[in-house]
Amino acid sequence: MKAALHKSIFRLAQLGAYSAILFAFPSHAREHLFGALDNDTLLNCENLYWSGQSLDASACYMEIIRMVNPPEIQAEAMWALGDLYTADDLLEQAAQLNPENAMILVRTGELYMRTYQYQDAYNFFSQALALEPDNAWAHIGAAEALSTGNNGEEINAHIASVQTHFASPPGARLRAMLMSINSVMEQDLYDETREQLDQAWAFVEDQGLPAMHLNALEAALAFVTRRTDEVQNYIDEALNEAPVFGDAYAIPGYFASITRRYAESGEFYQKAVEIEPTNWTAHLELGQNYLRLNKIDDGIRHVEISYEGDGFNPKTLNMMRLLDTFSANFVDLTFPDPPEENGIPELVLRLDRKEVDVITPYAKELAEASMATFAERYNFPAKEPVIVEIFPNHEDFVVRSIGMPGVGILGVTFGYLFAMDSPTGHPDETYHWGTTLWHEMAHVYTVEASEHGVPRWYSEGISVYEEWNTGPIPGIKIPAYVLKFMAEGAFLPVAELDNGFMRPTYDEQVIVSYMQAGLIFQFISEEYGHDKIVDMLYQFVEGTDEVTAIETALGISDNEFDRHFKQYIDIEFGPLLSNLQIWQQDLQTTMQAFASDNWEEAIAAAERAIFTYPDYVEPDSPYIAKALAHSQLEQDDLKFETLETFWQLGGYSARALKELADEYIARGQPEEAVNVFRDIHYVDPFDEETHGKLGDILIELEQPHAALQEYLVGLALDPLDQATANYRVAAAYQAIDDSAQAMEYLMMALDIAPQYRPAQQLLLELSRTEMDTQH
Amino acid sequence: MQKRYPKRVILPFALTLMFLVSLSARAELYVTIVQGLGGEPAFEENFHAQSQALVEASSSLTDADNVTLFNGEDATRNNLLAHFESQSTLMNDDDRSAIYLIGHGSFDGDEYKFNIPGLDITTADILNIMQAFPGQNHFLLNTSSTSGALLEPLGDESRILVTATRSGNEKNATFFGEYFVDALSSEDADLNKNNNISIEEAFSYAQRQVEEYFESQGQLATEHAEIIGNGAAQFTLARINPVVISDENPRLAELQEQVLDIDRQIESLQLQRSELSNKEYIEQLQALILQSARINEEIDQLNGENLAE
Repeated sequence: MKAALHKSIFRLAQLGAYSAILFAFPSHAREHLFGALDNDTLLNCENLYWSGQSLDASACYMEIIRMVNPPEIQAEAMWALGDLYTADDLLEQAAQLNPENAMILVRTGELYMRTYQYQDAYNFFSQALALEPDNAWAHIGAAEALSTGNNGEEINAHIASVQTHFASPPGARLRAMLMSINSVMEQDLYDETREQLDQAWAFVEDQGLPAMHLNALEAALAFVTRRTDEVQNYIDEALNEAPVFGDAYAIPGYFASITRRYAESGEFYQKAVEIEPTNWTAHLELGQNYLRLNKIDDGIRHVEISYEGDGFNPKTLNMMRLLDTFSANFVDLTFPDPPEENGIPELVLRLDRKEVDVITPYAKELAEASMATFAERYNFPAKEPVIVEIFPNHEDFVVRSIGMPGVGILGVTFGYLFAMDSPTGHPDETYHWGTTLWHEMAHVYTVEASEHGVPRWYSEGISVYEEWNTGPIPGIKIPAYVLKFMAEGAFLPVAELDNGFMRPTYDEQVIVSYMQAGLIFQFISEEYGHDKIVDMLYQFVEGTDEVTAIETALGISDNEFDRHFKQYIDIEFGPLLSNLQIWQQDLQTTMQAFASDNWEEAIAAAERAIFTYPDYVEPDSPYIAKALAHSQLEQDDLKFETLETFWQLGGYSARALKELADEYIARGQPEEAVNVFRDIHYVDPFDEETHGKLGDILIELEQPHAALQEYLVGLALDPLDQATANYRVAAAYQAIDDSAQAMEYLMMALDIAPQYRPAQQLLLELSRTEMDTQH
Repeated sequence: MQKRYPKRVILPFALTLMFLVSLSARAELYVTIVQGLGGEPAFEENFHAQSQALVEASSSLTDADNVTLFNGEDATRNNLLAHFESQSTLMNDDDRSAIYLIGHGSFDGDEYKFNIPGLDITTADILNIMQAFPGQNHFLLNTSSTSGALLEPLGDESRILVTATRSGNEKNATFFGEYFVDALSSEDADLNKNNNISIEEAFSYAQRQVEEYFESQGQLATEHAEIIGNGAAQFTLARINPVVISDENPRLAELQEQVLDIDRQIESLQLQRSELSNKEYIEQLQALILQSARINEEIDQLNGENLAE
């Protein structure tokens, strides 16, 4: 069955007729042929295009269409002019006329690659290989189609076929080399990149092949290795050869982006679209970069341009959908409000309208506290406003972060801007959004203080270390499954730790690496002092690698560091890791006994597990089972003590904390109840009952302003009992002597419930106060 | 020595009193609770508990003789049809009927049936029963799965229907009924703080509880309750926290009458809200409630004195 090109009709109506777009630009950017076709007329047009004579190239392609030419050549002309549907139809005709011609199938595959239909493209390459098993163009096409998934072995097999077969055309060999160079540079293997580039240069010169791609890759390598003065020279070389080669800038732009240097990346992409306005991918990347840099209008503009030119790209489509949500639903709140002195805010919260009244007070409090903490601890006051975006829809957040949905991340920092999931996106109790905010804010400071030079593991490690030491729920928290890997000695040498984040070799390795990185900073802080962490951070400004940074700051080699770190882990975790199986067994016994209502056994097993690992307060913590079992046995004091210990160690299960807060209230310990309720907000801020109870205690404690905040949040949650919610707000306003606001909310309560006696009482009080004032 | 006065229960707040006053002259509330087949012990137990709670809640509002429960083998189609035929002949135009169907239901895409021993009750049966009642504003609650299938055939401005599902396609066992029944004895459901639970209040409470249940479980809701018909806010189903005071203190009675009168005025004002500016409305409402508050203060004082005697 014939595949068909699929173009989204999303917002097509807004964009006008497709044909109008088609001819807005005479000829469209597409990949270089590298000698895959040998039709002289077509090659003449291609040469005109790549030599910068776009209008002449357009005329040339039009001539091909007007004249009698084989359909596969006409297809190439239509493709170059941007009419991909007609190109597809013409290639289909050509395939019917020449069913044994593998190159027609290869070019159809390339057309489908261009429209992001990778599986269909792969199928065409496979059909071509069925006709000609050694067709190098089909092999390289298949390898590129497969590279969009995780098919390493197959990709390597196709590339090997190109490289080893004696008849492989030089252009196909060069494409294989370019693929490989891209791949090793993406893995930060810069020495290997250098070697492969040198080999490619020799090959290109020997074969007389185009060198513009190699120059662009040289520019990228110079950029990522901080040889910044060489970058432009390589780009200029590429442009001398092909003045419309936007990728001369876009390729270094891509590598700037994946090394998190978004400002420079944006500058590269900006130049790419200036010299090649039909480079739709560059427009999209430029748009995304602007969004990361908080230049929202510019970002939207370039994403829209990209969509207008290339409606096939699913990433563009996702971004367009996100931007619709973004424009319609999000609001900015700036703090301080109004700004001090220079008129520039320090903090911007960008929140969904539906959540703004609930999230704002807690996000603001936490963001400001974290900014003050990190500015001092890393000796780096923020030089721009920090923008915090909180998304209620996880997929919107992921698209905003990386362009495509379906990835399990919680927060992403681009620099002064970070995006994260709201607790709405995670209804379960395992998401402590306060910790995520703290973690991402730490990234802002490490990334910006190092001028985006900090290695991934270093930045992640500091964020985890700060979660544990200064975050809203301090305490070292390591998931149980990570302990298993620690016991097996799965930690990487520090010089290779980035691989655990960037190129994990097993499912859990990213989280294992987070924990290792956090523990490394725990170790450095305890053994060498926190200042050494800061010293190393600033070395990354100059492009220093982590091995050198360690040697300079700590005076030891990376190997010595690894040895010392292992000793630290052995001392701190050795007893636990050697008893890990027993601990896991006790944990399992606790749960089994609990499930079979054997409360005494559940308590005994939980106590054993707690003895072995007292700091374990994750959602499956034995403390929770123990407290519940005590509750079943009506051992209220023991239940309370268990919950209290759980909380004091940083336990954050909202249900357990709500129980504890109620216990504190019942035991006449309102201050402790307040602290527990505040901790609950960082897991479950959408529980109206919590806000009401906290407000009531704060009124008792004569903290009416704080109570008012809680009551207003409770009201914003649209409670069923509107009369009580409005009355509480009125009472808090009354307590802070704001009679006008008190009366406004009070009358809302009484309008709903005219016979609501406490509200009537407040009305009498207000009216008597007013009369007294008048007298 | 303290003199013992005969005591009666009166409602503390106006709207309910007004309603009772109008009913007590000639109107009756007839309540019929039908406990359907549970199928499994857990459901049997649950439906039984709901039915008993409904009997208790209804008895707070109307004579025990007017509350009828059908369960077990008695809940047959014939018995029910005979009961409703008899009831409709007793009722006059001012009387109201409240029917609670607690159990399972089924919908085959064409006809809804409520499951009871023997022949089920069909949509046509329920329609006939309700059409036979004189007057209007009769109430039917159906807590079964697929009960939303009744909305279209029974929908009529003259009656109030509450179903646990929005259509016949929601086929999972429901939670709504349990929460609705809870509402009838819950202060949390008394949203206007008048110590009465109306259909609207019970519906809002139960609907919210169902939503929160599914959210807390991280599940998509498999049921969406519906309410249709007029007057759900005025139709009281249960009374909570009744206040017992002496009816032989003339000053108290006078004050209660004054509160009643003010509440009628408030109700009237609320109906005229769209004709007033917001400022005028609030000023007038505030003046009336202030009067009411002062009188209530005096009532509290007198009640305190009565208790002290």
